[in-house]
Amino acid sequence: MSIIDDVLEAILEGKKNPSEIASELKLDREEVEGAINILQSLGYVERIEKGSNACSSCPLKKVCGGSCVLPKSRTYVVTEKAFSLKNHSQ
Amino acid sequence: MAMKVVALAGNPNVGKTTVFNALTGMRQHVGNWPGVTVEKKEGVFEYKGERFLVVDLPGTYSLTAHSIDELVARNFLLNGNPDVIVNIVDATSILRNLFLTMEIFDMGLKNVVIALNKMDLAEKRGIKIDIRKMAETLGVPVVPMSAKEGVGIEELKETVYNVAHGKVRPNPVTPTYDPDVEREIRHISMALSQTELTERYPVRWLAIKLLQRDDEVMKLVLRYLGEEKLKEIMGHIGEAEAKYGRAMDLILASQKYEFIDNLMHRFIRYTKSEGINLTDQLDRLLIHPLYGFLALGIVFYVVFKFVFAIGLPLQGVLDDSFSAFGEWLAPHIASETLRGLLVDGIIGGVGAVLSFFPLVFLLFLSLSVLEDVGYMARVAVLMEKLMRKFGLPGKAVIPLILGLGCNVPAVMATRTLDEERDRLVAMFVNPFIPCSARLSVISFISGAFFAKHHALVAVSVYLLAIVVALLSARFVSTFLVKGEETPFVIELPDYLIPSWKTVLLHSWERSKEFVQKAGTVILFGSIFIWYLSNYPLPVGTGSSYAEKIGMFFEPYMKLMSLDWKAAVSLLFGIIAKENVISTYGILYGSADALVNAMTPLQAYVLAVVTTLYIPCIATIAAIRAESNWRWAAIVTVYMIFVASLVGITVWHLGSVLGY
Ligand SMILES: Nc1nc2c(ncn2[C@@H]2O[C@H](COP(=O)(O)OP(=O)(O)OP(=O)(O)O)[C@@H](O)[C@H]2O)c(=O)[nH]1
Repeated sequence: MSIIDDVLEAILEGKKNPSEIASELKLDREEVEGAINILQSLGYVERIEKGSNACSSCPLKKVCGGSCVLPKSRTYVVTEKAFSLKNHSQ
Repeated sequence: MAMKVVALAGNPNVGKTTVFNALTGMRQHVGNWPGVTVEKKEGVFEYKGERFLVVDLPGTYSLTAHSIDELVARNFLLNGNPDVIVNIVDATSILRNLFLTMEIFDMGLKNVVIALNKMDLAEKRGIKIDIRKMAETLGVPVVPMSAKEGVGIEELKETVYNVAHGKVRPNPVTPTYDPDVEREIRHISMALSQTELTERYPVRWLAIKLLQRDDEVMKLVLRYLGEEKLKEIMGHIGEAEAKYGRAMDLILASQKYEFIDNLMHRFIRYTKSEGINLTDQLDRLLIHPLYGFLALGIVFYVVFKFVFAIGLPLQGVLDDSFSAFGEWLAPHIASETLRGLLVDGIIGGVGAVLSFFPLVFLLFLSLSVLEDVGYMARVAVLMEKLMRKFGLPGKAVIPLILGLGCNVPAVMATRTLDEERDRLVAMFVNPFIPCSARLSVISFISGAFFAKHHALVAVSVYLLAIVVALLSARFVSTFLVKGEETPFVIELPDYLIPSWKTVLLHSWERSKEFVQKAGTVILFGSIFIWYLSNYPLPVGTGSSYAEKIGMFFEPYMKLMSLDWKAAVSLLFGIIAKENVISTYGILYGSADALVNAMTPLQAYVLAVVTTLYIPCIATIAAIRAESNWRWAAIVTVYMIFVASLVGITVWHLGSVLGY
């Protein structure tokens, strides 16, 4: 097992952010974020484009100067691919 | 002689653009890659009298062809015949960056140069890299750079020149995998070796890509080997995966990571002097399940304190100015009706709302600062933790965070949820998250009635709203729709000193909206309310329309000690919550009259009820658009019910406690 597996496993177990995962796996947060990038490009997690979508389709767009609070975080969800994998291993 | 071609490859954000610009200066051409909308940048640089064409590839983490960017980069490396490939590597995160490098090496490409960028940052973070050893280990030249300061550009040009002319002959390491995997690679390579494919592509790379079930390569192989042979190979891979219990692409990626990890130790050393960085240290506190919430409460308390301390006096000045303006204007208007409409209706109503501009601006300013610093992302994490405890599927929380600004986009954002029940739950809970419009009502009431503790009052109303949202989440997920957990991660940005330009611009944009709203929705609302309260006879006679409507609801309002005026205000608040303020402004004529007419407890009940009682019309419409009428109606009825319940409880509890 390598960092990539461990990180995916931790996400599937319900760990919610890189700091948490890093302290559990005794890694640097940046290493965890790097692994998430790789998992993304392999298609195991995908980034949710929050806000931007919602804002551009919002009916109040014309009158609203951008009330939406947009936390500068990036959110990734686990894809079907990762689940099929989990079932695979059971 | 044709120009030699240099391809720039690298992860996103490694400084590729910076290196590209430093190499080519002004000599650039921007277009698109054929057939796709991915930007293609080309430029030229000269070294020792020879011109080189530099092609900037899209930034990618790997070359798996899951995205168009990756496909473009990969196809150019395979078919574009670059003479030299400059792989830009971020020295501060070597492991992740070398993954792409290994993918390039997997392709059997030889003429690779590594531009090791952001050396300045690496040094600051105590990362020590032995460049000579790194080059030796990887088998390719490594040029240390700080592109931002222009350091290393000349050396890079020289190295590219030397490689292009065969004066330096790189010999990249071949990433190797476990014996089992290597056996698979050999097996597939053998099957492929009789085809013409081998003339066009490196066989080992094809084998590795087949193992990863790469669509493009599968199509290629299908064309050259036929369906039967491909099926046989894929069947074989399936067996191998069953044995590992995991998909092959993940196995390969993992082993590649391990391979890199082993190599890295030969040339990289971290000096652990600085320990963990500031962001991690702060996060230990700020997203801690207990201290995190405490910190959240304190942060918002401080924000309100700040907003009130500076905003209230300004609000007072504005309010007085509007009144003075009205008083000055009144004698100039002959027609009594017109005078009433302008002075009592428009100036009284719109003015009451507009006088809150300083408070709204300061609040948006604070929110923008919190956003820019990176704190709002932590709030998202905290809220997620909390919501999950109360049975909300974690993913449904993401749109909720948007609700802090405005519920409408938050409802729209539920679209990103795959499961219908997640969407319904999120839409149900969302309107309870206090939006910025409610904020002006909350600050209006806490500012007017609670001379000393306005910040505390405001925070407590917020807190109450969040508690109600949580309980509603529990309710809806237990009784109405059950959801299951979809795992996800939230990546948090490093804390940053805010950029004042961004912050000011952002707050201004948001406050502008407030003014626009006052000039449209609130203006028409005010005119209408003025009409209702003066016809057929003015308020006070008992026969104005406003009183009649209000009286109809008064028995119900009395349950929480509110009168007909509150009923009328709340009714108009459905259109936009700010209307609650303007209606009060018109019905009472002045803030003093209002303050004298209500006890602080009554005012508190009003603030709570206004925050909870109903989504505004735009939100109801958004819920209907994203689900159906029935759900929009359920949410509305539920909110009225909850607001009444909480209002009545707060009133009775408050009375018992002697307020
Ligand atoms: N400290 C430091 N920062 C650098 C260096 N080179 C680039 N940067 C910074 O890194 C960030 C990314 O630089 P870009 O040149 O835009 O990177 P890119 O790879 O083109 O990024 P994408 O367009 O996202 O692919 C910018 O903020 C640069 O200022 C460097 O040598 N040292």
